[in-house]
Amino acid sequence: MAKMQKPLQFKQPQKSYDVVIVGGGLHGLAAAYYLARYHGIKRIAVLERRYIGSGGSGRNTEMVRANKRAHETLPFYKESLEMWDGLSSELEWNLMVQKKGLIALAHSDPELAAMRMLSDSQRRAGIKIEMLNPKELKKLVPALDVSDRPALPIFGAQFHPEGGTVHHDAAVWGYAKACARYGVDICVGVEVTGFNIDAGKVTGVQTSAGHIAAGKVHVAVGGYSSEIGRMIGMKFPVTTIVMQVMTTDIMAPFLDYYVASPRLHFYTQQTLKGDLILGGPLDHFQSWGSYTTWEESADRAVKIVEYFPDLAHVRIVRTWSGICDCTGDSAPVMGGCGIDGLSLDIAWGYYGFKAVPASGKYSAEYIATGKMPEKIRHFGLDRFYNRRLVREIIL
Amino acid sequence: MAFLIDCPNCGRRNPYEFKFGGECKRAPDEGADMRAWCDYLFLHDNMPGFQDEWWFHAMGCKDWIKVRRNIATHEIRAIEETSP
Repeated sequence: MAKMQKPLQFKQPQKSYDVVIVGGGLHGLAAAYYLARYHGIKRIAVLERRYIGSGGSGRNTEMVRANKRAHETLPFYKESLEMWDGLSSELEWNLMVQKKGLIALAHSDPELAAMRMLSDSQRRAGIKIEMLNPKELKKLVPALDVSDRPALPIFGAQFHPEGGTVHHDAAVWGYAKACARYGVDICVGVEVTGFNIDAGKVTGVQTSAGHIAAGKVHVAVGGYSSEIGRMIGMKFPVTTIVMQVMTTDIMAPFLDYYVASPRLHFYTQQTLKGDLILGGPLDHFQSWGSYTTWEESADRAVKIVEYFPDLAHVRIVRTWSGICDCTGDSAPVMGGCGIDGLSLDIAWGYYGFKAVPASGKYSAEYIATGKMPEKIRHFGLDRFYNRRLVREIIL
Repeated sequence: MAFLIDCPNCGRRNPYEFKFGGECKRAPDEGADMRAWCDYLFLHDNMPGFQDEWWFHAMGCKDWIKVRRNIATHEIRAIEETSP
């Protein structure tokens, strides 16, 4: 029988810590966990102003994958994808990792050609990728309409067998409990209101629970990095945009894979519960207010029914949204920001969930050693000034 | 949608008819260094409050308009036509 675990207890912050992490989402908790477990740092606090996993960590579409584009980032995403595999046993918590496989549809010959090139660069980075023709595709996903009836018929697809889903709330609790086991103080309801910076070095944070001295401060605040920027007198290369998600009625299992269309920008999967999660593009305008719209729901309904005509009677029953900090090049900002002891792990747009284990690991390495790890070298803030933008795509 | 945009040419319209053009920013002066141009290009105020921003009415009059909108509440204060 499994060992009984102590329930997770939130703490009141102490007066001083070696490392203070701002943001109790997956990125913050993961960084705290790897710092405590692998870098031997004892006094760590994670400050969260609402509840853990309240932002993007609990609002994403649970997709994990490594079929990205830019060669600088492929090894990073590959490692992250592999890290999810062993994470349930490492954290002693079932994260419901399901490597169900991801199918990306192509709707024209040029798109198929581009997808082949993409696949080649992904294979070169050691990521398993196959190309499928419509016949093979139909075998994997019988409900998919591969005929020439849709306005944009399916010409082929890219199959990424290692892609899949992870339960995002389970991941939040897994990391939080593991953090607590290694002595990290997780403080919820504590809002950071300012930073103490002394001669170019960070010395602590001001919070709603008083001043906290800190040797190092790590910022992992999801959709709120511009607020942190204003506290330290910096602007970040981000705009805040809303991402909406819809789920449908619960149905008998019929869809074994994650199906995405980069061209139409929609993606869907059937959860273990039986409902379909409908993902899509970010909204096209800046917004700090969370909302869901009829327009987006209708758009996704049209797209899904176009390729899964049997779903015409199915209803969208639930919607939610979250805010994302997006850079112009669809890559995050990690590492230093010119203030000694202050490190960033921000601007994850809406591709941050899959990157959690690796970004936690390398953020921890950066905090502990002060040296930028090779795998995240391209994510530094300096890339915006050195003409080294990451050539990434959104989906 | 939570808000509508009063297009000076077309009337009250859904924001999904428009293309969002981002914050209105002031370009660096002539002779500014590369760093100033990078700042201008990539950095954003991104402040939850009122901001002046560009919208292009792609499914309407094809005109760029300047909108003063609260990006947290979507309240719109002023709309300005910009084409001659």
